[in-house]
Amino acid sequence: MWKDIRDREAGKLRPNSFANRVKSDRVSSLQLSNHKDIVSPHRGSVNSLQVDLTEGRYLLSGASDASAAVFDIQRASHSEGLIAKYQCLFAVDKQHEHGHKYAISSAIWYPIDTGLFVTGSYDHHINVWDTNTTQVVVNFKLPGKVYRTAMSSLATSHMLIAAGTEDVQVRLCDISSGAFSHTLSGHRDGVMSVEWSASSEWVLITGGCDGAIRFWDIRRAGCFRVLDQSQSQLGRRPPISGWTANKLSTSKSHLASQSSNMKSRILHKKLSNGNATKPSSTTGKLPAKGSTRQRLHPGLLSSQDRAVSHYGAVTGLKVTGDGMYLLSAGSDSRLKLWDVESGCNTLVNYETVRLHTNKPLQLATSQDSALVFAPCMANIKAFDMWTGKASLTLSGHYEAVNCCLYSFQDQELYTGGNDRQILVWSPSRDSTELWTRRIGNPVQTKITGATDCPLPQGRSVSTLMPSIKLCPPCT
Amino acid sequence: MIMEQDRGEGAKVRVLIEKATNSTDSEVHPRLLKAIKSVVRSSDSELRVAAQTLMDLMKRDHSQVRYLTLLVIDELFMRSKLFRSLVVENLDQLLTLSVGFRRDVPLPAPAAVASILRSKAIEFLEKWNDSFGIYHRQLRLGYDYLRNILRFKFPNIQANAARRQQERMKRERRSKEILLSKFEMLKGNFSSIKEEIQSTLDEIKECLDIVHSKEDSKAMIPLDDDITEDFRPSELRQIRLDALKEGEMVHENNDNKVIFDALREVYKLMSKHLVSIKEWISVLVRVDSTDTRFRDSALREFIDIRNSLCAVKKRCEESGCTFTESANHDDKDEDFWEEGPVGATENGDSVAYERKKEDVAMNGGTFTYERKNEDLVVAPTSNVIKNAGTETISEAHVGKAVQNGEVGSSDSAPSLRNKLLADAPVIEWGSFLNTWDSKMDILANQRGLELESHWGRVDYDATIPAEKIAELNVRASLYKEDQPEIQPCRAPLRKGGLCQRRDLRVCPFHGPIVPRDDEGRPFDTSSSLDETTPPDQEMGSVEKLVKQAVKNVRARDKEAVAKRERDKQALKRAKLAKIREHNEAVLRDAAVASTSRSSGLGECMETTGEMRGSAGKKKKTLASMLRKKTLTKDRISQRLLGIRSRDSTQRQLTLSQGANYGDAFPNQW
Repeated sequence: MWKDIRDREAGKLRPNSFANRVKSDRVSSLQLSNHKDIVSPHRGSVNSLQVDLTEGRYLLSGASDASAAVFDIQRASHSEGLIAKYQCLFAVDKQHEHGHKYAISSAIWYPIDTGLFVTGSYDHHINVWDTNTTQVVVNFKLPGKVYRTAMSSLATSHMLIAAGTEDVQVRLCDISSGAFSHTLSGHRDGVMSVEWSASSEWVLITGGCDGAIRFWDIRRAGCFRVLDQSQSQLGRRPPISGWTANKLSTSKSHLASQSSNMKSRILHKKLSNGNATKPSSTTGKLPAKGSTRQRLHPGLLSSQDRAVSHYGAVTGLKVTGDGMYLLSAGSDSRLKLWDVESGCNTLVNYETVRLHTNKPLQLATSQDSALVFAPCMANIKAFDMWTGKASLTLSGHYEAVNCCLYSFQDQELYTGGNDRQILVWSPSRDSTELWTRRIGNPVQTKITGATDCPLPQGRSVSTLMPSIKLCPPCT
Repeated sequence: MIMEQDRGEGAKVRVLIEKATNSTDSEVHPRLLKAIKSVVRSSDSELRVAAQTLMDLMKRDHSQVRYLTLLVIDELFMRSKLFRSLVVENLDQLLTLSVGFRRDVPLPAPAAVASILRSKAIEFLEKWNDSFGIYHRQLRLGYDYLRNILRFKFPNIQANAARRQQERMKRERRSKEILLSKFEMLKGNFSSIKEEIQSTLDEIKECLDIVHSKEDSKAMIPLDDDITEDFRPSELRQIRLDALKEGEMVHENNDNKVIFDALREVYKLMSKHLVSIKEWISVLVRVDSTDTRFRDSALREFIDIRNSLCAVKKRCEESGCTFTESANHDDKDEDFWEEGPVGATENGDSVAYERKKEDVAMNGGTFTYERKNEDLVVAPTSNVIKNAGTETISEAHVGKAVQNGEVGSSDSAPSLRNKLLADAPVIEWGSFLNTWDSKMDILANQRGLELESHWGRVDYDATIPAEKIAELNVRASLYKEDQPEIQPCRAPLRKGGLCQRRDLRVCPFHGPIVPRDDEGRPFDTSSSLDETTPPDQEMGSVEKLVKQAVKNVRARDKEAVAKRERDKQALKRAKLAKIREHNEAVLRDAAVASTSRSSGLGECMETTGEMRGSAGKKKKTLASMLRKKTLTKDRISQRLLGIRSRDSTQRQLTLSQGANYGDAFPNQW
């Protein structure tokens, strides 16, 4: 730690990597937080957790008793001695006149702000709620139980809720019109998990109970890729090896994607924002291979169409922060890491023991995708993303865990389980205190001075918040 | 190296813990527990090993082991922070194994112990949560989970205590409120209460004054305070007042009666006032009002009032006492006593009262009480015996002791009393005691009932003179000879112990009875020997002869005894041991079935069996034993194989193989 600080002082260490080191230190010491208690208002298992994407402050939870609640995780409602209690700001449940009747399987924030949130339920409905009035503003009726809903955090041209249901078709619900804009068919069974790509606003990834993971470009018909577990590559991306190279490539690709996004936005404006189903081959994100496949068939080759990625249902999907990898969890108790670019299984062996099979899982990754948090029955395991080694086993729940959520801002993990609890896992006090004590010297001015260096990612400014919190003079 | 050492240390803890948990007791052996604690205290590594071992033991498939392990865990948990943090990490596992809340992991075999284990685990969890919950989220979680989700019933010790505390507080607050309201009420009508009491006081004083002015003219006997103080209970007082009334009615003329009536009324009122005043005072003492000034002043006034009330009451009672005195003086028949808890008898038969309370219920008028109290068992009760005898001065003195009659006049009561008690005759109690030492004539034809007799004229005034009564009452008593104690012989026996035979002069086995010490040696042998040694003493030679004779007799006896012993034993070994049980069973059956003779026979056998050890009865027992063997057999054979039953029995025996059996074992049944 001292060495890092000295290096930082000497300018040998980039501020970003310094911050990352601190953060990874903190992540590696996660443990059940004793001073942060979320008082769960739920009377059923907690199925979904999400922190809002704008402030990283409001935690939204959805539970089996058809209730959803919002917590302010930055400010405790009251404290009992050392223990800060976080009570929900509000909760909606069955008593609400437009509330869900059955379990809420998924609750997500509207990505742009915290004014709306979306809940999907087993009563076949998706509700869009106004946060401030806690009223339902839009309501979608779907043909089956809703397993998972997703909204793209990148989207600038559409406001679609992707809904995975019991039904074989994936539906995209348009909030602005209140109707289904797309019906994506291709799965042969219900769809348990839905995830938007982190690199392209038009790419949707769905995992079905038939074991297939499909990639959809919402601008054109059919899915353009089905992940096949037999197609594999060893390690990470073959041509590029090493950390720095990877880093560079990601930043490059990001830049590229950003520019492409800009382009496409302009394009869309030109097209007067019409329906985006028109295929556009100019999207830079789509790989060359993909385009060749697309040329073969508007859908896919039938042999490719049959490919499966898991034996059994795909219960969870998670795209890494840079959008280059996809993690999938299946009811075959496997966790798999896919290279989005090539569509290959990277053959990382995650040391999972057992995953539960009948419910959608919510996986989480730490920042810079070093760790994957996966619910393994009553425990949460943290795996090293690239080696698959389990580095942490967090046990505290008394029943199976359904969802994890990693807060990049505080390096905290939130988990919800069948025991109705929402637990907070935070870096151990000792290390925090140690760090605070150590950093309490003149060096810190230098560190903070370094933070105004231009940062490659816009969002990562806010990820430096903890270090600011740690040393008050920085503010 | 360190690892080795650790392992060595760890082994010790492990052995200790395994030993402690390997028992069937309901708790861990305290010494082992102490040992574990002391070992674990020595180092952290030991503690870690202990925690690991305990967790391993919890996985054992036996509830008893788990239970004991849990007890050890609790002991360490309450003491060590490190241990807590170690255990808490695996708390869900621990709870699974101890509470057994998971369907797929039930508690193991002994069901009774398992249920104890579960309840204990829940209790411990609650305790841990209360004490350390704020430091360990896991504890809170586990507690919450079991309580709110699985709905386990927790003993809720702390909450219950808190609730009780709260209830008590509430009660106290309520009583305080009541006090305060009372206080406020008092504040409101303090003056009226005061005036009322004052008026009552004035009235009673006036009445007393009037009464006293009359009494003074009569020059009454001074009052006795001691008596009045004995009459605490209100009913007693009431009775006394009644008496007072009666006395007054008889004594005084009608114009006085009005005053006394009024006095009585007012007296009643006053006693009521007294009670209420006491209540008010207690209220004032207990209340915590802000208005202390009023409280103090009111308290002061109330105390004054109470004092004056008490004074007046005393005066009243004194005067009342005066009246009773006068009443007794006037009319002997006036009699009042109360059988109350205080045990105060007035004018009652104290003997009867002491001995048999129900018999006290006699009409006091028919007798006059004048008796010596020598034969009284005077219990320290506050009996007050009032003597109504005309010739005696009524005196009831000296606290609890009862004095009476002629002896009562002396002041040196105790010593005299004791002296008299010492030579007083002890006689059985009877109704004649009513007229003990009475010098009165008794009306012969008065029975308390008006009977019309048609057998001629009856002289109702006929009396029986006192002498005659005394003659009639002469008690006959039987002479009872008190048994002189006959000393035991106490000669040492061969088998140890002393001869317990009691003869007046000479023991048939040990010669003349002489005083002996604890070992049975005569005290004065040496002296007697010294006496006997001089040959010229005739007495000595006689004694010597006697002794020689005794010795010879004893030697002979001993030989005979030894011989017979041998004989007897041989016989017994030969026959008895084999047959005895059988015979005895038969005997017992016979005894149960038949007369006392056979049972007596059985007893005799038993006693002789017992006495076999004592040399004194050896000859007899041996003989009886020998005789008895045939005798019992004969008798029983007579009884069982008698004239009537023999035929049938024999037929049966012959029918079966019983005949052979009988031939083979002629002694056996």
